[in-house]
Amino acid sequence: MTVVLFFIFGALTIGGALGVVLARNPVHSALFLVLTLVSVAVLFLLQDAQLVAAVQIIVYAGAIVVLFLFVIMLLGVDQTEPFAEPLRFQRPVALALGAILLAEVLLLAGHRWATGAKTARGVGITGGAFGSNIQRVARVLFTTFLWPFEITAVLLVIAVIGAVVLARRSAQTPDSESESAPRSGS
Amino acid sequence: MNPHVDFHAFAPEIVLTVTIVAVLIADLFTDDSKLPARIAALGVLGSLVPVLTLAVDGQTRSLFGGAFVVDPFSLVLTGFFLVAGYVTLLLSFDYIGEGDYYQGEFYVLLLTSLLGMIVISSARDLISIFVALETITIPTFVLAGWRKHDTKSNEASLKYFLIGVLSSAVMLYGMSLVFGLANSTVLVDIHKYASGHTPALFAVAVFLTLVGFAFKVSAVPFHFWAPDTYEGAPTPVTAFLSVASKAGGFVALLTIVRLGFFPSGNSWQPILWVLAAASMTLGNLAALRQTNIVRMLAYSSIAQGGFILVPLAVAGDVRGNAAWQAVVIYILIYGAMNLGAFAAVIAAARRTRSAEISRLAGFGRTNPAIAVMFSVFLFSLAGIPPLAGWFAKFVMFRAVFDANTTVAVVLGVIAAVNSVIAFFYYSGVVRRLWFDEPAAGVELSSPRLPVGLSAAMGLMTAVILVVGVYPQFFARLGEIAFQRG
Amino acid sequence: MQLNEFLILAAFLFCTGAYGVLARRNGVLVLMSIELMLNAVNINLVAFSAFTKNVSGQIFALFIITIAAAEVGVGLAIVLLIYRNLHSPDLDEVDQLKG
Repeated sequence: MTVVLFFIFGALTIGGALGVVLARNPVHSALFLVLTLVSVAVLFLLQDAQLVAAVQIIVYAGAIVVLFLFVIMLLGVDQTEPFAEPLRFQRPVALALGAILLAEVLLLAGHRWATGAKTARGVGITGGAFGSNIQRVARVLFTTFLWPFEITAVLLVIAVIGAVVLARRSAQTPDSESESAPRSGS
Repeated sequence: MNPHVDFHAFAPEIVLTVTIVAVLIADLFTDDSKLPARIAALGVLGSLVPVLTLAVDGQTRSLFGGAFVVDPFSLVLTGFFLVAGYVTLLLSFDYIGEGDYYQGEFYVLLLTSLLGMIVISSARDLISIFVALETITIPTFVLAGWRKHDTKSNEASLKYFLIGVLSSAVMLYGMSLVFGLANSTVLVDIHKYASGHTPALFAVAVFLTLVGFAFKVSAVPFHFWAPDTYEGAPTPVTAFLSVASKAGGFVALLTIVRLGFFPSGNSWQPILWVLAAASMTLGNLAALRQTNIVRMLAYSSIAQGGFILVPLAVAGDVRGNAAWQAVVIYILIYGAMNLGAFAAVIAAARRTRSAEISRLAGFGRTNPAIAVMFSVFLFSLAGIPPLAGWFAKFVMFRAVFDANTTVAVVLGVIAAVNSVIAFFYYSGVVRRLWFDEPAAGVELSSPRLPVGLSAAMGLMTAVILVVGVYPQFFARLGEIAFQRG
Repeated sequence: MQLNEFLILAAFLFCTGAYGVLARRNGVLVLMSIELMLNAVNINLVAFSAFTKNVSGQIFALFIITIAAAEVGVGLAIVLLIYRNLHSPDLDEVDQLKG
């Protein structure tokens, strides 16, 4: 059952990802992104990572994609863009990346992970019940990783402030020439 | 079940966070641009107090299962970041306060980036390092685009943002593989894992992690965003990016290599070797061709980044802590020189209203004080004794000789050739300052410099002269950083 | 269910995202492609976490999701700012600075 689900949602993940990078219309890309994000959430559920799956749907598919769509609509860029004319150095870079990918896939396929066991479904990490994954994550998050958690809180506040500072229309006059405008004294 | 929290260990971060909130609130209730600036400066100096008390206490504090460690290394670098942040504030006061782009949030964002830096100097696991790196970079994306109506500044911000996020993604992919192999995010456990026999996949993981860092410290061939971003951003922000933000990347790189990947030398040494050689060579060659002083300093800072990478690249063959000390000492001295150079650029631009090198002709005759200090910074960057730059180069070469392997010596030769190339473009600017006739129609006289800017330049000149003559001072800091507390 | 299947899926997803970063010229779409790469990282982390029964992988993934949200907020503000000045989100139009 899980194998079937893995292949269905794995295919949807890759399909959605290809849709994101290949679609001509930015709105379609955003919708393909939702497909990928939800499929990835299902993959998380397959591995009993319920909390990450929920956060993935709420934060990614819920908040981030809505933000993307909002900006796309606001800018009125929902028309197609020409897909030719890549940068000059793009092909070699793409080739190099392809080579790295190939090497890595081969390494991954050839690598024997510690025991070669199946992923631990319902064992140890969760104990089976739905709530226990969240409890375990919470326990470690609020003890071992309390410090990065607090810093992230500061970071989120500052990101909001930064976004507002950039996006708000200030009453100041446009003056693009002033490298630094010296005034008398100070 | 409650984690043990040692508040003394967190005191610098707490003081800085309180300052951030205070500046934000003060800005809300006053139109006076001086008050938020004063609170910010006071807060940065205030955070230095707990750093000193922790240093006097001298005890190594390890919290959260080794994920957060306060030791001499973290204290030395926290002190460095706070001083660099304070000098950046000195540079910013008038630039931001007088321009048409004043918003009090500037200081909030600057302080948050600074918070990320002092967090990174004591972070000892992958998650903390990642969160701290993002805390450093996310506010700087906004700062780079501070001149909102200037399309150049917009472009600087967008390029920096896209490269920053992309490099994080690559770095995280590498980190995820490291986590999978070592089964831990704490560097101590990764060190243990790397001590054993590591599969080829570990090398891929290390490669991707280091590529992510190479973007962050703008090492060649991942440097192309830096000159554009440096040119488009407001100059005080450029100073901050090229010194503090870059040093943050190097500190994370040093920590992760020294405490994590170190035993698996084959996986990281060749990468750092190539990055060091390429950054020095291409950075210097590109700097030779620049006509804009900010772009020249951008390429020069890429090349200086290459010099910082040299001791890291040979660290595997150096006994003891000499290589790590060389990195720390180089970062400290580089910070003073580059902050000074950008301060001088800001001061000169107030007179010439331009960043073109040609406009600096004859500047020494009309503004001798600025020109003398400018020359001190440039000669120090070139590594001329008795200015501090020579000592940075000296410890770097000493690490190379300590390593004494063929690859290390080759890298040392490349570094030596590059030091000579670098001398040409630094001295070219100095020659223009002093020996060229002023261009026609350039008005060089103008009101006197703001106090903050003069203080910053004076302070950096003093540091460079004192350290150049008595290098024992920074050498001792380098030794202290790697003592067992 | 083998661990490798998840890792290979993540590798493909990562490279699809990397291709998107190189091929697309629209700032918003480049950002979406980077989100694909971050999702690949999260698949890796959760798969390792389930495999080794070490919950810190899932926590790492949570941090990445949270910080990605912060990045997207700032990034879209920058795109908005550029659009206001240039009336185009196309990266090719943003080329005043040489290099």
